[in-house]
Amino acid sequence: MLLSVIKENWRWRHQVWNLAKIDLVKTYRGAALGKVWLFAKPAVYILVFWFALEFGLRSSSDVNGKPFLLWLAAGVFPWFFMSGMITTGSDVYKRYTYLVNRIKFPLSLISTFYTLSLMIVLVCMLAFTVVVAACFGIFPSVYLLQLPLVLALMFVFWVCWSMALSPLSAISRDFANLLKTLGTPFFWLSGILFELDKLPHVARVIMAFNPVAWCAEAVRDCFVYEQWVWADYTSFLPFLAVLVFFVFLAMHNYRRLYMEVPDVI
Amino acid sequence: MSSKPSPSLTRIGDATVIRDEDTSNPIAVRFDHVNKTYKLFRNDKQRLLATFSKRVKYTTVNASDDLSFTCKRGESIALIGDNGAGKSTALKMITGVCFPTSGTIEVHGRVSALLELSAGFDMRLSGMENIQMRCQLWGLSAEESKALIPEIVEFSELGKYIDQPMRTYSSGMRARLGFAFSSSIRPDILVVDEALSVGDRKFSKKCRERVHEIMAKEGVTVLFVTHSIAMAKEFCTQGIVIRKGHAEFSGEIGEAVDYYTAQ
Repeated sequence: MLLSVIKENWRWRHQVWNLAKIDLVKTYRGAALGKVWLFAKPAVYILVFWFALEFGLRSSSDVNGKPFLLWLAAGVFPWFFMSGMITTGSDVYKRYTYLVNRIKFPLSLISTFYTLSLMIVLVCMLAFTVVVAACFGIFPSVYLLQLPLVLALMFVFWVCWSMALSPLSAISRDFANLLKTLGTPFFWLSGILFELDKLPHVARVIMAFNPVAWCAEAVRDCFVYEQWVWADYTSFLPFLAVLVFFVFLAMHNYRRLYMEVPDVI
Repeated sequence: MSSKPSPSLTRIGDATVIRDEDTSNPIAVRFDHVNKTYKLFRNDKQRLLATFSKRVKYTTVNASDDLSFTCKRGESIALIGDNGAGKSTALKMITGVCFPTSGTIEVHGRVSALLELSAGFDMRLSGMENIQMRCQLWGLSAEESKALIPEIVEFSELGKYIDQPMRTYSSGMRARLGFAFSSSIRPDILVVDEALSVGDRKFSKKCRERVHEIMAKEGVTVLFVTHSIAMAKEFCTQGIVIRKGHAEFSGEIGEAVDYYTAQ
C-alpha cells in the first residue's frame, strides 16, 4: 500500500507541483496586493506577539544569545504551516470536492499537493527570516544546513496526518469540527510562545510525543539553539515513533476508506 | 507522458476493476455482475462509528444490482431507464470516480465524461486556468494543451469571459465550457449524461453536431445516458434498458426503446 501510494505520487509529480501552485494562486486571487497576502498574516502575527510579550508581559529576553524576535519567528512561521495542516489539511477532500467525485484523480495526491503548497509558503518565510537576520548582522550557523532535513520530515509527517484524518473528516462533520477546535489548544500547549525547557519533567515527557512541539523546536534548533536535531534523542526518538505511527495510520485509514469517500462527500 | 495511468488491476474486496489504454481490444467497457451498494446511516455520527466498529446498523441500497453488459469498441450505446434506475452510478463507475462493491468492471481506453457539466471546475479560478488545470490532469503535455486550448475557448463561445473567475459565470456558460473541454480532449470512450440540452438551441445543436462528429471518428465508443427516447434514437445503434440497477434488456436501439416504452 505504502509503495503504491509513493508510486502514484511519483507518477503524478508534475501535476502535484502545478496543483500546489494553483492552490497558492487561489488564496490571493482577486486581491490587488496579490502574493503579499500569503505573507501578511504571519508577519502581522509576529509583530503582535512580539509587542505583547515585549511590552505587555515583559517576558521577552534573548535566547541563546539570539534576539527574541528571531526565536519567535522560528516558532511562529512553522506554526502557521502546522495550523493550516491541523485545520484545513485534515479535511482536504472538502476543499477539493471536484477532484474527488467529478474527475478520476488519486485521492492521496490531494494531501500531497496541499501540504506542498503550505510548505512553499513556509520555505519563503524562513528564507525571508534568514535574509532579515543577516541584515541585522546575525549570520546563519552551520546548523542551518539541517533545515532541509527538518522540512522533509515535517512534510512526510503532515502528509500522513492529512491522509490519515481527511477520510474521517469527510465521513463525519463531527470529526472535522473536533480537529478545527484543536487548532488553538495546540498552539498554546506546544511551546510556540514559551520555552519547553521551563516545563516540569512530566510535561516535557508528554511534549516529546507532541509532533507540533517537535517541529517548532526543530526549526528553532536550526536558527536559535544551534544543535543537531538528532542530538537530543529524548525528543527525536519519540517524534520518529509518532511519525511511524502516523504512516501506518495513514495507510490503514486510506486503504479502508478511500472508496467510501466519493460516496459520502 | 508521466501521468498516463498504466494498465491497472484493482481488487477491492469482492470487486475487480481492470483499466488500461489498450484501444485494440474489441471490448471497450464490460460490466460483469456488478453490484454497487450504498450504505445509509441514520446520521453522520453512526457513519463515523461504523468506521471503527462493524456492529453499527445501517440500511443498504443497491444502485447497481447484478448489472452486466458489454460495450464493443466503436459502438454507441444508450442506457435507458427511469430516474433512480442506476444509470449515473454505472457511468460514474466507468469514469472511475466511484468503485463497485462486487463484480468485475473492465474499461479499455481513456474515458472522458460529460457528467453534470458545470461541476468539476474550481469556482475561484478563471475559465482559462480551469481549462489549463484539467488539461494537465488529463495528461496532456504543454505543447498539446497549447494547441488544444484555443479550440476549446472558441467552441465554448465565452470570448472575453474566459479570463474571469468561474464563480461569475452563469450556469449556461459553465456548462458550455465543460462540454467544450470534455469533447475536445479526444477520448477513446465518451460518456454523455443528459448533457446535450446545454444552453440555447443554437448551442445545443452545435453540441449534437460535435457528438456526431466524435462518433463518426473511428473507434470512439459512446455511452449515452438519457430518458429521452428521441435523443437515444438519434445517437445510438444499441440500447440497454436499466431498471432498478439491473440490465433488463440489451439489443438494437429500436427494440430497446419499444421494450422501455411498453412498460
